Amino acid sequence: MKRNLALLLSAALLGVSLTACSSSNDSSNNNVKASSSPDSDSSASPALSGDDLAFSKFPKPVDVHIGMVVDPTDKTLPEGDSVSNNQYTRYLKDNYNINVIVDWTAATGNDFKQKVSLTIASGKLPDGMVVDDRSFMTKAASSGLLYDIGDLFDQYASKQVKDIMASTEGRALENASYKGKMVSLPNITVDTDGVHVMWIRKDWLDKLSLPVPKTIADLEKTAKAFMDNKLGGDKTIGIAGPSKNTFPYSTFLVSSNNMAGFDPIFGANDAYPGYWLDNGDGTVSYGTTSENTKKTLAVLADWYKKGLIDPEVGTRDNTGDPINANQTGIFFGPWWNGGYGNGDSFKNDPTANWQAYPVYSDDGKWNTHMKTTGSTYTIISKNAKPDVVKAIMIMNNALVRDEATFDLSVAVGWYPLRNVMAAANETEYEYTELTKVLKGEAEPEDYNVPNSLYKLMYADAKKVRDVVKPPYDELGVSNFSTANFGDFQRLYSLLIGDRPFATTPIDKKVYSVTYNQTPTMETKWANLKKMEDETVLKIILGQQPIDSFDKFVKDWKSQGGDEITAEVAELLKK
Amino acid sequence: MRKLGHQKHYYLMLLPGMVWLVMFSIVPMFGILMAFQNFNPGMGLFKSEWVGLENFKYMFQLNDSKTVIVNTFIIAIGKIVMNLIVPLVFAILLNELRSLRYKRLVQTVVYLPHFLSWVIMSTIVIGIFGYYGVVNTVIGYFGVDPKLFMADSSIFRQLIIGTDVWKEFGYNAIIYLAALTGVNPNLYEAAAIDGANRWQLVRNVTLPALTTTVVLLGVLSLGNVLNAGFDQVYNLYNPLVYSTGDILDTWVYRLGLQNLQFSLATAAGLFKSVISFALIYISYRLAYRYADYTIF
Amino acid sequence: MVRNTTLGSRAFDIANIVLLALLVISCVYPLWYTFCVSISEKSAANAGLVTIYPIGFSLTPYKEIINDSMFFNAFWISIQRTVLGTSFSLFVTVLMAYPLARPKRDFKTRNMFMWILVFCMLFNGGLIPWYLTIQNYHLIDTIWALVLGAGVPVFDVILIMNFFRNLPKELNEAAVVDGAGPWSVLFRVYIPCSIPVLAAVALFISVYHWNEFFNGLVLSNTQSSYPLQTYIQQLVVNIPVGTNLTPEQYKKLSELSNRTLNSAKVFIAMVPMLIVYPFLQKYFVSGIMLGAVKE
Repeated sequence: MKRNLALLLSAALLGVSLTACSSSNDSSNNNVKASSSPDSDSSASPALSGDDLAFSKFPKPVDVHIGMVVDPTDKTLPEGDSVSNNQYTRYLKDNYNINVIVDWTAATGNDFKQKVSLTIASGKLPDGMVVDDRSFMTKAASSGLLYDIGDLFDQYASKQVKDIMASTEGRALENASYKGKMVSLPNITVDTDGVHVMWIRKDWLDKLSLPVPKTIADLEKTAKAFMDNKLGGDKTIGIAGPSKNTFPYSTFLVSSNNMAGFDPIFGANDAYPGYWLDNGDGTVSYGTTSENTKKTLAVLADWYKKGLIDPEVGTRDNTGDPINANQTGIFFGPWWNGGYGNGDSFKNDPTANWQAYPVYSDDGKWNTHMKTTGSTYTIISKNAKPDVVKAIMIMNNALVRDEATFDLSVAVGWYPLRNVMAAANETEYEYTELTKVLKGEAEPEDYNVPNSLYKLMYADAKKVRDVVKPPYDELGVSNFSTANFGDFQRLYSLLIGDRPFATTPIDKKVYSVTYNQTPTMETKWANLKKMEDETVLKIILGQQPIDSFDKFVKDWKSQGGDEITAEVAELLKK
Repeated sequence: MRKLGHQKHYYLMLLPGMVWLVMFSIVPMFGILMAFQNFNPGMGLFKSEWVGLENFKYMFQLNDSKTVIVNTFIIAIGKIVMNLIVPLVFAILLNELRSLRYKRLVQTVVYLPHFLSWVIMSTIVIGIFGYYGVVNTVIGYFGVDPKLFMADSSIFRQLIIGTDVWKEFGYNAIIYLAALTGVNPNLYEAAAIDGANRWQLVRNVTLPALTTTVVLLGVLSLGNVLNAGFDQVYNLYNPLVYSTGDILDTWVYRLGLQNLQFSLATAAGLFKSVISFALIYISYRLAYRYADYTIF
Repeated sequence: MVRNTTLGSRAFDIANIVLLALLVISCVYPLWYTFCVSISEKSAANAGLVTIYPIGFSLTPYKEIINDSMFFNAFWISIQRTVLGTSFSLFVTVLMAYPLARPKRDFKTRNMFMWILVFCMLFNGGLIPWYLTIQNYHLIDTIWALVLGAGVPVFDVILIMNFFRNLPKELNEAAVVDGAGPWSVLFRVYIPCSIPVLAAVALFISVYHWNEFFNGLVLSNTQSSYPLQTYIQQLVVNIPVGTNLTPEQYKKLSELSNRTLNSAKVFIAMVPMLIVYPFLQKYFVSGIMLGAVKE
């Protein structure tokens, strides 16, 4: 009897697969059909222009198919809501008659990358998706899969969006274009994302009555003191470093947000590895191959040998682990690494007074490399109807204008096609203005300006007095209330993390000649990068002598480095 | 000749499987064409530009390809050999146990690691071999300085092979144990009466009973000489061990995911398939000619 | 078994017992480690301090899982997938193994089919064409994509085929003389004789289905159709930091490295296999001679 049942079951399965096969032909043009509902011309409404057009409501519902990144651990969606039906999609439906249809989702990181590359390879893009790597955008563009959005952008982007684009002096537009055509909406992030500072436990310094270290030599003494006094327990780590997935320094391709790299140390030695440097005489060089980089690597190797750097550097699973577990009192990273980046550290030790400072060169200069405008892109399928493209523009306008007014108890990551656009100096502006609010020199209502370039300013100004308590002259963790942890993290990052960049002048800002791949890089860069990563880490860990650096430079040049340098020099001429 | 009349029934029995193979295996094989194209997703498989063997030429020109192929061979062959021998030794040792209950316990426990995927296992392995991990603690008792095992390219391959064997030996032994239970106990008794000691029993009774199994498994695994285990390596390696740990699959994965070089990835995959097929065919002929043994 | 009581033999016995005990410990360790991490304090777990016993005690992760409907959804999908997938593959596998086990004089085109099978085992068109094919069958985001994706495990076909070939020829001939056709020979004679090998193969296939995560990721469009391993994988897997994450994204990222919760999920995911295995193991010890062995 059982046997017959199994037979029946399997036969049924087989039937399914066969019918699935035979029905595949007649519905193979499904994709086209699905997005054709707003086919009818909806711009029949009276001629609008400017922001009226940028925030216009479609007379008939417009379906927008998207692929979307999600955070699998997020628990903020209320019961019954879903990725395609939540407060953000309802907002878009109610205000603009835009129906968001989510074709697929994938988790942040490699899962999402995989799904995007599969989608591009299959040549069937959803109407819109946000890709987090420029090479995805250029691959899709060079395969002719993307919509040339230039004209529609001019008509439909809001003034706010255009202002933010303009604040980058054309760099954002150039970034978003392929062969002179605008094929994507770029994200624009704050400059300070690319400025890496030293994060240090001020409470540990105070315990040992040590001053804030300023130079590389000071740092070495401080790290040693932290370790000798076992301030982080028996297994105190002097200075945290990169994990197996992160790198010792940010590079021209990934020029920002390098948590627990060594960027400030390189900067203090006037070295900018990973960046294409303008030599000032019409030539360019690659920062990694410079003598100053070699000098800095020697310092790091020496520190590693002395046990000052995390012994598991380069092999650790997650770079944040020793920081959050309060095993270490020193690491390097951008403004948000303290606060947003190490929330668990405060939870595990409420007295962890992380403070941010620059690292100076021996002659007292603060040098830092600077990032590109942004590196995620909203790409729109060539097959999208013009109305769908307009809808995506409007979704972006609405996000930029209204993000601050949303009820953030539902994570804003659920906003479909969310691609951040912020004025490049937003963080510094907020730092300055929030300080004024705290000191009573300004009132939150002063910032109630509709369509402001600084979209989160008003919301933050209203919160700041609840979260930060006096005295205000020297802010530390004891000034902050952690009652609303999200607010705490944001304001801690803003007021502590961005203080160096907002208040201390930078002596030397270094930009890369290019932040994109040149044609030869498309085939040769993977190999050169691999060689570079391997050499740098091995030198730091003492597996290769510092002298092997010279051989690396030679190999690097002969295996395509020279060829690529010439290409980058061409870019400089333009 | 009534038997030939059964042929149509045989075809009928093969039908479901063959339908599946055509639908899910043979149809997608048209993708192999990509290896000979400069594949452009916008144009699709039939309109993309044909480039002949360019992708293959390019693949072998890359400096990495040699390192990667050598690494792949060494790791894969190491795994094949060790995964044949270790479970075999284990099965024999287990067979020698006198307490049936202990035997049962061991047998039930050793398959455990097999059920853990490498995603999970890698965090455990990194923990065990980490700077503050169990291994360093133990060698610390003997006065040896802690060592960063995961960052040492000179032992990375051994580490990969060793952890794989450790993870799979219990499971791989199942087939040997199954074969052993089929051995007639009278054979042991007869040999013992002839005065054979334990080693001789193992050599003359146990091992011969396992020979065919070893041969079959060995031959079947020949198709794996270019499979060094993507999941495992991907989850355990880091830039410090690229020189010995980077394998064909991880290399292609990085190229494909970072640079979207679909055609190159397909070419590398095809290269793998062709070599594997050739090896299987050769081993099939060899086994047939010299041992009169048809593997399948 | 014959008792052998020489001194050397005794010494060997003891060494053998100790050696196997060490192996047993090494195999239980991951399970124990995972369990220890799952009930330890979060900060100790993240610092990598947990090695052989839990540090602190907290059941928070398990409480969180009980409230995680996605987890149970994924669990249910995995059970469906494993049951359906194993039945399908086993059925097809057995049906293929029988004709292929016939000698060439009985079944003329046997060798051709055999080589087609081996060819299909080794060659594939790569991920993308495979994905597109399944997409064209409209199976994406359904349980059938996962069930059928595994399809015909050629290795198992060969295993069962070899077992069939080793069954005494008289079985077949006697049945044929009684006038039985191939179908009734297969179902009335061969299958009842092969329960142990079929149990083994069923286990192989079900372990595959239970542990496989990649198809689950590629062939599903939403989290709600992920099987358990895919669901867990996306939580455990590392995300490269520094690739253009906004602060909010990083905040989420640091939550991802929640080792205690992940360990609890991993631990629970292992439970079904641990429960099922002993039942299937009964068949192994009852005396199998797998298809691998040929007279």
